[in-house]
Amino acid sequence: MAIPIESSPPPGWEREGIDGLLGLFPPGRLSEIVGPRSSGASSLLLALIARITTSGGQVAFVDGMDALDPASAAAGGVDLSMVLWVKCGSRLRVALSAADLLVRCPGFAMVVLDLDELGPMPASAHLRLQRAVEGGDTILITRSARHREGSPASLVLATRRLAPRWMGLRPLTRLAGLRSEVSILRSRPSQILTLSPLGRGQGEGKAWTLDWTL
Amino acid sequence: MTRIACLITMNELVGNEPARSALLQVALAHSPRVEDAGAGRIYLDASGLERLFGDEPRLAARLRDAAAAARVEIRVGIAESRIAALAAARLGPGVLVVEPGGDAAWLAPAPLSLLDLPEEMATRLSRWGLRTLGELAALPTAGLFERLGGDGVRLQRLARGEDPRPLVSWRPVPLFEESAACEWGLETLEPVVERLRDLAARVCARLGAAGLAADSFEWTCRLGDGRVHDGALAPAVPITDAESVGGLLRLALEARPPRGVVEALTFRARPVRLAPTQESLTDRSRPAPRLLTATLNRLVALVGADAIGAPALLDTHRPDAIALADYSPSNPPPRRDSRPPTPAKGVSQHPPSPLGGEGRVRGDEAPALALRRLRPPAPASVTLASGRPVAVRSGRLTGRIVAGVGPWRVSGEWWSPRPWLQDEWDVELADGTLCRLAHDGSAWRLEGIYD
Repeated sequence: MAIPIESSPPPGWEREGIDGLLGLFPPGRLSEIVGPRSSGASSLLLALIARITTSGGQVAFVDGMDALDPASAAAGGVDLSMVLWVKCGSRLRVALSAADLLVRCPGFAMVVLDLDELGPMPASAHLRLQRAVEGGDTILITRSARHREGSPASLVLATRRLAPRWMGLRPLTRLAGLRSEVSILRSRPSQILTLSPLGRGQGEGKAWTLDWTL
Repeated sequence: MTRIACLITMNELVGNEPARSALLQVALAHSPRVEDAGAGRIYLDASGLERLFGDEPRLAARLRDAAAAARVEIRVGIAESRIAALAAARLGPGVLVVEPGGDAAWLAPAPLSLLDLPEEMATRLSRWGLRTLGELAALPTAGLFERLGGDGVRLQRLARGEDPRPLVSWRPVPLFEESAACEWGLETLEPVVERLRDLAARVCARLGAAGLAADSFEWTCRLGDGRVHDGALAPAVPITDAESVGGLLRLALEARPPRGVVEALTFRARPVRLAPTQESLTDRSRPAPRLLTATLNRLVALVGADAIGAPALLDTHRPDAIALADYSPSNPPPRRDSRPPTPAKGVSQHPPSPLGGEGRVRGDEAPALALRRLRPPAPASVTLASGRPVAVRSGRLTGRIVAGVGPWRVSGEWWSPRPWLQDEWDVELADGTLCRLAHDGSAWRLEGIYD
């Protein structure tokens, strides 16, 4: 009996919130999170890392701009002892080389390449990382400000700022959080047989509204 | 009939390698079977040595005199079992031989402390009123087994002078070293690396064949002008993988190459024995130690040793007080509750989203808003109106402030030479950027951007 793999999203992908989003990231493939400043992209990354580390997975975080705030990560539930933090000092090539080394080291449940506004990632680097992570169980996620056309990423999530949330009424007393939207910009299964979470184009345009609290 | 001699010394042998080595030499000069029991205690097989050294009292005296010649003061006991020989050495006048068949009688008045009991067991036996080995030996074995299990029976057999465990022969640590002389001098780095990699591969093959690994590697290059270039590397975990060692070797030599023509090379490893471990079928996978070591070393060469590790929070409220701890992957039991440890707040307190939409986060999850730090904080020029910031200009962003809250004063360590104090503002710019500004009394800084 044939099993239509491509049309079978993983269990729970239709679930609400972060848990549903986490199920979208295909192991052994390159995924992207793109979004401008204050769009919730970094919060989404930390939430994903928190879920990986609390289930016992190891995460490598290649920090292009040395921007990771461990206090935020700990507040978000990240087990810091399970995170390998590589600070690259705003050097794009160093960050790309570090990510390349880490995706070739099996055993990490997730490798994150956080470039933010560091610069456009060369297409060749995209391809190299995609090739390096293929065939393994590692989830590779790049985070950048803009999506680059021609990227081989299997999944591209875009984040968009909706509104900040303040506490207090005239005057405001404190920042309570941020509401943002995460949408599937692209979902493209692997060319080879794989348990890809989404079929080609499946779920594109689907959006989640997420509340991040401070 | 087995006869065991026990040599004990009051000298502290832990960390005193010359004394320990001298005592081992004395023992090995008298018997081929020697056990180094640690803590200044050495056993040797004294069976059949009469024709070489005379009867047992003479052998014991000879051992004591040989040790004294090596400047190690010892006490000697000879008996049929290790425990009786130990008791003879400890409780005897300095040199004592327990007659064959007399172990149990000799041990009977000896204190229980001779057995080196764990604290829990010693307390238990003490509460039973037992003080000597003879009292323990006299207990009914079946009852002892019911109460203490196999450990109790084993201890009772020792108390009776029955020690079935054979001597564990001491063996010298094998030297894992390979050398090569070059027919002609090596002037460039690449052939030096290749030669050393070959030597490392041979050493690793020998380590693997012996079931050992190495926790440090050293190499020496003899240069043409007579000088010596040496180096060492210590992987994070003991390894035997020649490829990993070769990679680390290349990185180390590239960082500090020999300055001269190399005429001869030596490569050696310090062996360690690894206890076999059983991986769990239920734990999440983690990087293999050997591969991780090689990867970490390459990353250190790439970004520097101070830019890699596991993030750690320091015990202070100072903003951005963090450190990098050694990264050592482990598999802690997964938390059944995957929610963040911070108390859930916020989401359920806020009005429902005007956008509604599917997939809203459940109220009990409370994912945290991340702050992206600027390191170092960017100097900023802030325009104030009625004491509140209304515009900000810095190298990273510029804009009009449309909403903001503050100041939140944070301070600390006023008792130390480095007190700190700053007022923090969370502001929203006209383009929607949320950021944190800080003012330390003299200047404004952009601390980070909420994302």
